[in-house]
Amino acid sequence: MTIAAATSSNSLFDRFAKLNWGIITILCILAMIGVAMHFSESASAGDIWTNMPLTHGLRFLMLLSLMILAAMFLDARFWLAIAYPLYAGALLLLLAVTAFGATRLGATRWLDLGPISLQPSELMKVGLVLALARYYHQLDPRRTGTVLWSIPPFLMIGAPAALIMKQPDLGTAMLIVFSGIIIMFVAGLLWRIIIAGAAVGVGGALFAYKYLLHGYQRTRVDVFIGATDDPLGAGYHVLQSKIAIGSAGLFGRGYLQGTQSQLDFLPEKHTDFIFTMIVEQFGFVGGAVVLGLFAALMALSLQVAMRARSLFGKLVSAGVAATLASYVFINTAMVIGLVPVVGVPLPMISFGGTAMTTLMVGFAIVLSVDLRRDQHGARGLLW
Amino acid sequence: MARPKKIGSTLPKRDANVIFTRRAALMSFIGVGVMGTILARMAQLQASDAIGHEYTNAADNNRFDTRIVPPPRGVVYDRFGTVLAQTSKDYQVSIVQNDAPDVVESVRRVAEILGLDSEWARRAVIRVRGGSRYEPQPIREGLTWEEFNAINVRLPELRGVVANSADVRAYPFDVVYAHPIGYVQKPTQRDIDRALADPEQGESRAAYLRNPHVRVGKAGLEASMEETLHGQAGWRKVIVNARGVEMGEDERERREPVAGSGVVLTIDHELQRTAMQSFGDQAGACVVMDIYTGDILVMASTPSFDPNLFVNGIDTATFSQLNTDEKKPLFNKAISGGYPPGSTFKTMVGIAAKQAGVADDWHVGCPGFFSYGGRDFHCWKRGGHGSVDLHRAIRESCDVYFYNAALRAGPERIAAVAREFGLGVAHDVTLPNVLAGLVPDPTWWLAHRHEQWTGGLTVNYGIGQGSLIVTPLQLCVQAARIANNGKAVVPRLVREAPGVTPPRQPPTMTGIAPEHLAQIRGGMYGVCNEGGGTATRAGAMIGLSRRPDGVVVDTAQAPAGSTPLQIAGKTGTSQVRIITAAERARGVISNDQLPWALRDNALFISWGPFDNPRYACAVVIEHGGHTNVEFDAPIVTARVLRETFLRDPANRAAARLAALEPQAGQPARQSV
Repeated sequence: MTIAAATSSNSLFDRFAKLNWGIITILCILAMIGVAMHFSESASAGDIWTNMPLTHGLRFLMLLSLMILAAMFLDARFWLAIAYPLYAGALLLLLAVTAFGATRLGATRWLDLGPISLQPSELMKVGLVLALARYYHQLDPRRTGTVLWSIPPFLMIGAPAALIMKQPDLGTAMLIVFSGIIIMFVAGLLWRIIIAGAAVGVGGALFAYKYLLHGYQRTRVDVFIGATDDPLGAGYHVLQSKIAIGSAGLFGRGYLQGTQSQLDFLPEKHTDFIFTMIVEQFGFVGGAVVLGLFAALMALSLQVAMRARSLFGKLVSAGVAATLASYVFINTAMVIGLVPVVGVPLPMISFGGTAMTTLMVGFAIVLSVDLRRDQHGARGLLW
Repeated sequence: MARPKKIGSTLPKRDANVIFTRRAALMSFIGVGVMGTILARMAQLQASDAIGHEYTNAADNNRFDTRIVPPPRGVVYDRFGTVLAQTSKDYQVSIVQNDAPDVVESVRRVAEILGLDSEWARRAVIRVRGGSRYEPQPIREGLTWEEFNAINVRLPELRGVVANSADVRAYPFDVVYAHPIGYVQKPTQRDIDRALADPEQGESRAAYLRNPHVRVGKAGLEASMEETLHGQAGWRKVIVNARGVEMGEDERERREPVAGSGVVLTIDHELQRTAMQSFGDQAGACVVMDIYTGDILVMASTPSFDPNLFVNGIDTATFSQLNTDEKKPLFNKAISGGYPPGSTFKTMVGIAAKQAGVADDWHVGCPGFFSYGGRDFHCWKRGGHGSVDLHRAIRESCDVYFYNAALRAGPERIAAVAREFGLGVAHDVTLPNVLAGLVPDPTWWLAHRHEQWTGGLTVNYGIGQGSLIVTPLQLCVQAARIANNGKAVVPRLVREAPGVTPPRQPPTMTGIAPEHLAQIRGGMYGVCNEGGGTATRAGAMIGLSRRPDGVVVDTAQAPAGSTPLQIAGKTGTSQVRIITAAERARGVISNDQLPWALRDNALFISWGPFDNPRYACAVVIEHGGHTNVEFDAPIVTARVLRETFLRDPANRAAARLAALEPQAGQPARQSV
């Protein structure tokens, strides 16, 4: 690579052109699906002029611009530099939420900072990915294969997960644990720790069910495993969702024709159960297409990871892909009754800025990594 | 790699990139597996639905709701077509809880507009909260047009308030038909429980009964003819959202309700109203019957109540006031009130005595009392009547004659005659709670009182006292059977309705000799028209004459050659207290000195016109004691019968014809 080439690759236009347009395109398609579904949702409310579709679209465009700008102007050094501070800050905010957070809908997840209300658990999703990536990036590869050096990552995952569990927000805690473990796994976690961890995990889940879960969470699990029958209470959401998906058929009832969603039988349809709404209106095929788009997005992120030269870049990209996968799989498995209802949205499509912001910050890093994939990275930067 | 040597060389060398690639590939496979599982689960849900349609059916159950459309209730008419009970539009104000952020505040504003008190508002809030969140819950029915408009113009500021109209049962003549027609009410929890217990009705019937607009008959004809009047409910299959709000309708699945059948009563509205007004503020009953068809022209019971109060739920204060009133306004005295017949029963005793072979010229000396079994039985006339025969005994109601006559006839024969004339029988007039009354005889006495019948009981039987219980309806039937010369006429209240057949020619009663009846009728004529008769004032009050052309007119306007129209009857007084020997010695306390509830019941049975009988009438005034001259039983009878004769359809036709006849010779005029 000549100096001239390196210089020209640094020109603004060149950088813009070299962005990973595959990822950006899929993000746009997913957001547009979201806009269409929110229009359908508004239409069912009898007032097609609610601003939900518009809000969703504008929010996406704003985040898209910020994502592209961040990808173009911030490089791995920046992300590496903020990794630990961001993680530490998020952890402190989580502690603050536990101490003085605002309670909404029975859960203490928000920090009220005057006009802005902040969910530190979302900050933590990005912070954890960055922090774990940095940890392994700076760790000697031979040490990643030791038990001792595997303990700090577990603590880094466990501390925020425990705090988020307490809020209580089982879904986000699960998301954080999943993405964190996946990063540890791809970073080279020892198999014997994985096997032991799996055993501990099953035991821990049983322990959590028995002693840690809140009443409503336990009820959801009970309903899910069929221990109690409560079609109008905790089982109602999943029952209505299964009815909608089961009755949709291969191609669905047609856009704006979903009886379950249009007549409000489907609860939380603009957030957690929006996948059900998609399947009801566009059938199995529609659901498969949306899942396919997410799969493509994950594949593209992994591709970025594969061709990144720095371990930090690899791990961050894989971490973002893992976070996306956790969102998508927990959400879709939940609405078809494969896992208990835990309150995880379908990113880019569900209404609400939180998951979208988290994901798009993540993709800003992925795009940034991809743009500078040839840079060897900044191992040893801080020492 | 500036400082590689510090780490123990025992550790295996690892290449992070290789591990990452390998593990990322592994994760990708797991991801593909998870996605496959999710797609397979979706396919499984849809496949199971393709076979059993369970989810499609569940989705349909969700969105389709069957809404009941209550049928309009059948109209009730009088015999000439006057509407006595109908379904009419009612203006109401309702509240939809889901649209009212503050139900209490909304109700308070409505109360302010309609000028209702806070107690009403408190109840209204309870009513609203007890019902569905999504359907309008009526809080005030029966609004006037002005009130309805007052609510309507303020609707924008009244959150959750709805001004609507609904079909409601209305009784235009309120108190006049409270007893024979009765009323409808909201089904009670007991009705719903009963429907649930009945395997043929079950949950769907119970759901129907829970509909806020459904009413069922709860008293009178409304209750006994519920199935005829109610009609068949219709339904609409509507598409609802999850909150039950109607979003559309599947018109093909609509079934219109079938209105209830109309019912025509035998009642003549004008007569019924006259009768109800004739009682003043007294408690009593009046029944007027056609003696040949059995048609009940009047069934009055006073005091009465407004049945409209019950349709949308009567408030407890009003109800308990009605329910505890000593004059029992809720009670249909005409068919359910049981009274000792008193002297009206002497007509029966007379016939029984004639049957027992008492000679026509049999006379009894009345010294004012009759000694039997060591006890004195008194005549109402302290000085006595002297020597009396049957005619005079009826006319002047001599007790001593009938003490003797009863002993001659014997209790079995008296009871048999009484039953033959319709006493002690629950006449089926299509109404609930028809009292059978009681006509005792020695067999009954032994079975129920566990005593041997005594001659003293027979003596008392002679003047209609003792355990004898009759209803005004039975008294009217008795009078009718005397008047029609022994035809076993059966009363009826319903003239036309599905399944109602025209009355059969009444059979002739067995064992009743026409000549005996003629003698009784003669005596009853004397009661109203001869000197010494106990109801001559009533006889005179009729004040009608039949013109030579047959038209009945007021005697004052009758031309020469008219004959007076006369009635015949029999008075009765039944004691509700025991007069002790000591009181009798001091002098019996007169009725107007007694508390109301201890005064005698006043009775009068009658029929007319005497020369060509057509109508029979029975009047009972509770505790009237024949003290109230204006509203005594015979006087009430005279008012009602006078109107009855004038309103006789045959007479009205004759009157119209007579009015046309003078013009017969004149040039023809274009009739309208």
